[in-house]
Amino acid sequence: MSRLASRVPGASKRLAPDEDELCNVCKSSRYLNPDMRFLVNPECYHKMCESCVDRIFTHGPAPCPLAGCNKTLRKARFRTQTFEDLKVEREVDIRRRIAKAMNKQESDFERLIDYNNYLEIVEEVTWNLILNIDVEETERKLRLWEEAQKAELNPNATFRRVTDQPEASQLSDSSHVVLKKGGTQRRALATSSGNTSTPSGTEESGKRDTGFVFQGLKKRKLPPPEKAFDPFDGWSIEPQYYALQENHNYQWLTTYDSDPAYFAGGWQTRDYYSRMMEEAFGGMCIFLEDEKVAPLGSGDDDVGTQNAANAAIGMKDVVMDDVF
Amino acid sequence: MGVSPAVSPHLAVPGAKAPPNASVKAKTLAILNNSRSIPTPDGLSRATTPGDGTADLAEMMNNDVREQFVSGARLGEGTYAIVYRGHFRHDPSKLVAIKKMKVNVDYRDGITMDSYREMKYLQELTTHPNIIRLHAVFTSKDQNINLVLEHLPKGDLEGLWKDSKTSYTREDIKAWSAMLCQAVWFCHENHVLHRDIKGNNVLIAADNTLKLADFGLARSFSEPGRPMTCNVITRFYRPPELLLGASHYGGCVDVWSTACVIAELATRAFFLPSETDLQQLTVITDLFGIPTEADWPGISKLRHWEVSFKGAAPKRPQPLSHWRQRLPLMGDDGIDLLRAMMTMDPAKRLNARDVLKHPYWTNLPRPTKKENLPQQGGNPEKKMGEDLKRRGGEVETGRTDKVARKLNFGA
Repeated sequence: MSRLASRVPGASKRLAPDEDELCNVCKSSRYLNPDMRFLVNPECYHKMCESCVDRIFTHGPAPCPLAGCNKTLRKARFRTQTFEDLKVEREVDIRRRIAKAMNKQESDFERLIDYNNYLEIVEEVTWNLILNIDVEETERKLRLWEEAQKAELNPNATFRRVTDQPEASQLSDSSHVVLKKGGTQRRALATSSGNTSTPSGTEESGKRDTGFVFQGLKKRKLPPPEKAFDPFDGWSIEPQYYALQENHNYQWLTTYDSDPAYFAGGWQTRDYYSRMMEEAFGGMCIFLEDEKVAPLGSGDDDVGTQNAANAAIGMKDVVMDDVF
Repeated sequence: MGVSPAVSPHLAVPGAKAPPNASVKAKTLAILNNSRSIPTPDGLSRATTPGDGTADLAEMMNNDVREQFVSGARLGEGTYAIVYRGHFRHDPSKLVAIKKMKVNVDYRDGITMDSYREMKYLQELTTHPNIIRLHAVFTSKDQNINLVLEHLPKGDLEGLWKDSKTSYTREDIKAWSAMLCQAVWFCHENHVLHRDIKGNNVLIAADNTLKLADFGLARSFSEPGRPMTCNVITRFYRPPELLLGASHYGGCVDVWSTACVIAELATRAFFLPSETDLQQLTVITDLFGIPTEADWPGISKLRHWEVSFKGAAPKRPQPLSHWRQRLPLMGDDGIDLLRAMMTMDPAKRLNARDVLKHPYWTNLPRPTKKENLPQQGGNPEKKMGEDLKRRGGEVETGRTDKVARKLNFGA
């Protein structure tokens, strides 16, 4: 044994060396099988050796083989323990789960005192679960809270109604194992939701029960819906002071309309009209002092045109007094 | 958008009146820069003091502009221009690209047509986010014109589809095409023809915005009675009316080029590649058929029609199934848009405004957001140098790359 103890330097002092190296189910010890690994299931944290897990749970979920423990265990959830002390292991698991569900930050609250009260409640929930106080009620609330958070994040998804089932598992909602398949599962769901119809009915009528109510919690702001794609990217160039006609009917211009040397190459009189009109009206309501561009390198792109646009909008007709 | 700032249209006449004076260019540039930067009051007072007889106002202003930039590493050099990376003197984190025009043999005393066009049109159009920003213009000591342009470090559209390591989707194509079409629309709305739209001239900014660059061949829409040259636009992107020798055309030439660039993105290959100008027309008619007088009224009056099409065996356009097979990434609405942008008859072709009104843009899938667009690997900044140094209308074929091409602007 001393040899073994030296090989496992971190071996617990509290436990007798035998107890540490002995599987509680099959009583085989590491002395006979040096490659033995011990696994725990977060359902009940009972330690057993790998071969026992294989033997008992390969054919599906089964009750924990240790006397007095009625938890149903599945093989997939067995793992090696991270911490030597199983109590610590369990507390870390619980804290991890709570931190995932209740992850508000100070910025989510109106005032600091609200945030501190929230943290207080979180800690209370954590210790309730760790010390097994009022587990059922806490589990129910926690599950409702999780659902509410999910629904808030993604309002379009429809979630299955959480049923407050009385046989609450200790750790998570996914860990209460449904042994049977398909039809029975659905039937069970229907009956259970039928049983709990009274509380959920009251939820429907008023606000949804979110498990916990926190003072001063800001409502999550939904991101604004994405605007339709604008091929012009917000730019628009429309004449302000004149209307462009389809045909301005100048004799000397219309001759070009019928000249194949012009229209066959895609030259259009309309382009010419619009350019002439813009050049004629281009200087309207543009004032030099507004148009002066900011000094080079200021990085401000469209100061000049913006100012001109503002000036144009805010202006009345110019009163021209007779100068003569 | 106001009218263009006061630029004398006689600027580019090469040394006609003024003797080859060192400050001629500086003076003309001072006029150009005046609209963008206000000289400091002390700069003005310095210039007017009679004590310093050598420097005149224009040179002072030019120096003021030049002092604001620091030139750095060389990014690329061509026969036509050298491109440097630079930054603002007051803020080294604001990068710019400085395009230094080489002194041209033909325009030894004036401004070359290309740089004149680039300055003239860029400073009108530079407010749009999809058009390369011209920060300033100045001359350096050896009388070269320097254009201070936006620094666009992420390469160009052609590099993007050529880079086999980059993969992109139909949403990305839609986002890029939309930005390109906006730039073209903005040019046309302000009566400027770009006349050299191609993947090489569409650069990508640090925030993945596309920027239309290289206005060396740009000009405004022509007046009636004033012919334009048909020898513009890089061959692969040249529309049939230019190949047929039309000397009066409109914005439709740019729309054709834009459609070529979009189709290139979707196929990851040149859409209508050819070896010679004559072959280009064959390549186009292979896809679109030979237009008749009924399809394209007035076609037989175009200058090169007789050489190209008279007596030619009729050719049918390729069916829709060919397009679907060739451009699976565009979808049916995209193909509809491309075919409308590449209608042979320029009068029936969509104009830039109608292109943006096409349902393709608003149909699903929605274009990718700018920040999620894929990026090109390698060192695309160097590509910017390569692109900016190129002269308008040049194709990189290898052998004759370094030979400057002569354009007949008078025709």
